[in-house]
Amino acid sequence: MNLIPFRTKRTSGIEAGNMATLADFRNEMNRLFEGFFSRPLMMPTWFEQVEPGQWMPAIDMSEDESKIHVRAELPGMGPEDVDVSVSEDRLVIAGEKKTESASWAHRESHYGAFTRAIPLPEAVDPSQVTARYDKGVLAVELTKSPTAASRKVPVQIGG
Amino acid sequence: MSSSLTETAPEIAGRQTGGEPALTYQPHVDVCDTGSSLTIRADIPGASAESIDVAFEDGVLSVHAKVPARELPGRVLRQEYGIGDYRRSFRLGDGFDGAGITAEYRRGVLSIDVPRLAAVRPRKVEVRVAPA
Repeated sequence: MNLIPFRTKRTSGIEAGNMATLADFRNEMNRLFEGFFSRPLMMPTWFEQVEPGQWMPAIDMSEDESKIHVRAELPGMGPEDVDVSVSEDRLVIAGEKKTESASWAHRESHYGAFTRAIPLPEAVDPSQVTARYDKGVLAVELTKSPTAASRKVPVQIGG
Repeated sequence: MSSSLTETAPEIAGRQTGGEPALTYQPHVDVCDTGSSLTIRADIPGASAESIDVAFEDGVLSVHAKVPARELPGRVLRQEYGIGDYRRSFRLGDGFDGAGITAEYRRGVLSIDVPRLAAVRPRKVEVRVAPA
């Protein structure tokens, strides 16, 4: 279980049909559990084992007819610190939040490397993706693949 | 938490606070004590410098940031972070220079520098070699 606290303001349910890999599933389960371990402010710093890959940004996701919109909270980072990659059915947001000082008397923010793979509800065109970072928020816009509809295999009635 | 800084309303980080017309959130903060000043960094993604208020009164440093409603076009599939203002305050100990406080907002992070009064700053005393 991942015990690294996360500022989960609202946790949505998982959509079982969208789990691309076992790793994604495990990550999503971690996210669900994180809601139960919101950190009291006075938690000693030794509790914070902020290690690479042990935190994930919170996201919002929505879809309209032609696009899928994803937003991730990544305060304190720059566009150069964030990598966005897209396959047909997955969006991966990765990067590293670098710490500027080693002498923090108190720390609640997350530092270090992170990776979050987000299963997409529909196939997208990997060549038509835009990502914009502004005021600590990354906004990714993905265009749904026009051929996605044809991938659905009609089930025929047996003779 | 730094010895010279206490939360005015100890609550769980990220928990919603009551009594506001809309939901407000407590930003995550990092505190660095350099001796001559306290640096407080608060994660306030999505805000703008004009919409952030930093106040220092009666030894209490408070931060309030208005965040515009995030617009998610179409049908919402996931919502892991809420929409609302950020609010948090700390009682600082004595010996801080309220007039010297500076604040800067960059890439979703608010950095506040609270200098200590010169009289209470730790002084390094140089040990000189006595003449032989």
